[in-house]
Amino acid sequence: MRTVQAKPALRDEGAKLGFRLTLPAQILVLFIAVFPLLMQLYISLTDWSPLSGTGWWNAWSMWNNFANYTDLAVDARFWSALRRTAIVMIVCVPVEFLLGLALATLFADEFPGKRIFYSILLMPMMVVPAVAGYMFFMLFQSGGPVNDLLSAISGMPVTIAWLSDPTLALIAVMVADIWQWTPLMFLILLAGLVGVPEDQIKAATLLGANPWQRFITIVLPKMKTIVIIALAIRMIENFKIFDTLYIMTGGGPGVATETISVYIYKLTTQDLIWGYVAAIALAILIVLSIAAVFAMKRMARAREVPA
Amino acid sequence: MSAIHLQNLVKKFGDFTALKTMDLAIADGEFMALLGPSGCGKSTTMNMIAGMEEPTSGKILFGERDMEGVPMGRRGVGFVFQNYAIFTHMTVRQNLAYGPRMRGAAKAEIDRRVGAIAEMLQLTPLLDRKADRLSVNILQRVAIGRSAIMEPAIFLLDEPLSNVDAAFRAVMRTELKQLQRQFKQTMVYVTHDQLEAMTMADRIAVMDHGVLQQVGTPFEVYNNPANVFVARFIGSPGMNLLKGRPAESDRGLVVDLGPLGVTPPLPDAIAPAVRAARADVLYGFRPEQVAVSDRGLSMPVSFVERIGARTIVHLGESESAVKAVFENDVGLAIGQTAIVAPAESSVRVFDAATGQAIKAG
Repeated sequence: MRTVQAKPALRDEGAKLGFRLTLPAQILVLFIAVFPLLMQLYISLTDWSPLSGTGWWNAWSMWNNFANYTDLAVDARFWSALRRTAIVMIVCVPVEFLLGLALATLFADEFPGKRIFYSILLMPMMVVPAVAGYMFFMLFQSGGPVNDLLSAISGMPVTIAWLSDPTLALIAVMVADIWQWTPLMFLILLAGLVGVPEDQIKAATLLGANPWQRFITIVLPKMKTIVIIALAIRMIENFKIFDTLYIMTGGGPGVATETISVYIYKLTTQDLIWGYVAAIALAILIVLSIAAVFAMKRMARAREVPA
Repeated sequence: MSAIHLQNLVKKFGDFTALKTMDLAIADGEFMALLGPSGCGKSTTMNMIAGMEEPTSGKILFGERDMEGVPMGRRGVGFVFQNYAIFTHMTVRQNLAYGPRMRGAAKAEIDRRVGAIAEMLQLTPLLDRKADRLSVNILQRVAIGRSAIMEPAIFLLDEPLSNVDAAFRAVMRTELKQLQRQFKQTMVYVTHDQLEAMTMADRIAVMDHGVLQQVGTPFEVYNNPANVFVARFIGSPGMNLLKGRPAESDRGLVVDLGPLGVTPPLPDAIAPAVRAARADVLYGFRPEQVAVSDRGLSMPVSFVERIGARTIVHLGESESAVKAVFENDVGLAIGQTAIVAPAESSVRVFDAATGQAIKAG
């Protein structure tokens, strides 16, 4: 609890009253946020599964002495899923960022037809991810439009089996993610870009800075906060990549496109080992939380310097 | 080499003409103020000198050199923005070093120049401060220093004092004038505040609706306004202007002001020109050069403003309203009738139809 800045006597009175008034809301928050977390922690320490024939509250009878966590440490499939998730993030987020930034720079100036292009550009973001998944599933069929296009360009019939080749499937999945989420990056970065004071850019020009120098020394530093926010949002979202990917490849071929979310989904619905699933989810939650706290600290520091 | 010549300069934005055929010569080392109400084209003129906007037609010469097609980064002008446009994410040192750094000067060279300019502007103790929490007069010095380090031949200042409160403006005016003496550059200063223009400028270019009205020293534009606009705009309050018709009397040429009676005879210097013009006129005189007298214009007192050192008496109303400014207090109250006479030397006559001053032949 944050202490209220007031005179000591008043502060005690105010804090007590405030606590009483917010108690219902606090209980609700506890129930929503803390209870599932504790439940998850509890189950993650047992071998409980919905097939155990007993309620989750009786899971203590299946206590397994941290076996889920020790299993996790040596689960090769888990680590390869984690590595694959990281690869997807390391490729997708920077590509989305650079494309979004380039588009935002383009859209900061006026040009004919800007409004129409703007609307078209934002459309992928509005498409339901599952629908986007089906779209790309069909685009990347060996007899699909992507191969047709490549045939037309190369002049030879191209029949690449995109979604059955381990490497190509991963690329196809990343293309779909970039297609769908570059618009969000573009939108956030454009908002940041138009917020850069125009006369500072003019001042830099008058002092002899060329467009690239202006971008590096004035525009980007002024956009720092918004860049961090955009990257943080996309990194967190991208880490959880699931729906589009699952519909395109189902994590396959084999486990070639199996990310953390897909792995957890399979364990939950096919293997039904919920204690283990709870352990994985909790481990990831902790890692993501640490990353988020780190990112938020950076953001707070950036905000100390108003644009 | 840093004189500025504007020749037949025109700027149109679509159908709107922001500037109509402007000709102006600014001498090397001169402090020229562009003065006028908002929308008069003064900022447009300045932006064209800086190269931020292209003239629709006409020429801008720096010395002998035509500036057409020269981009704004290469014109060698320093520009101080209305809000200074300081790079707030940098330190004072980084702000000052920005120009040389962008042009790839050597580190030692940059340090030397930053040190020198900071010393001159008394910014040395502030060099490593972040530029986002500085007071306005420091911001002004950083803005000037940041441009001055490039040693521009021409300095352009766009209403740099408009965001400063009135009390501080006097300090900043003095500081700015001293800086100009130090740098000895040609300065063009855009403002809507006649006090700033009068106190700092060597010459003032008065503008209105995209037309240059008059160019002259502060005393010239105050004492001999070229037309009705300048007469009203310069001075606070502006010049009194009363509509009338020249008439002969046994004391010489006077102006018949209708219900207000006739004026004292016009000065001999302008009487022949007024007589020759044969037109309705505006009879003008400065509020500061009015005396209470037993002969003159008889008018009711409508309001008295007492502001310490001065008392402004409002006489008459609407078309024939006149203001008179007296030093200290004057024994006039609302409702009384005052007889006031303008000092003969202060009388100016304008053609009522064209608004132009009728000058001594």
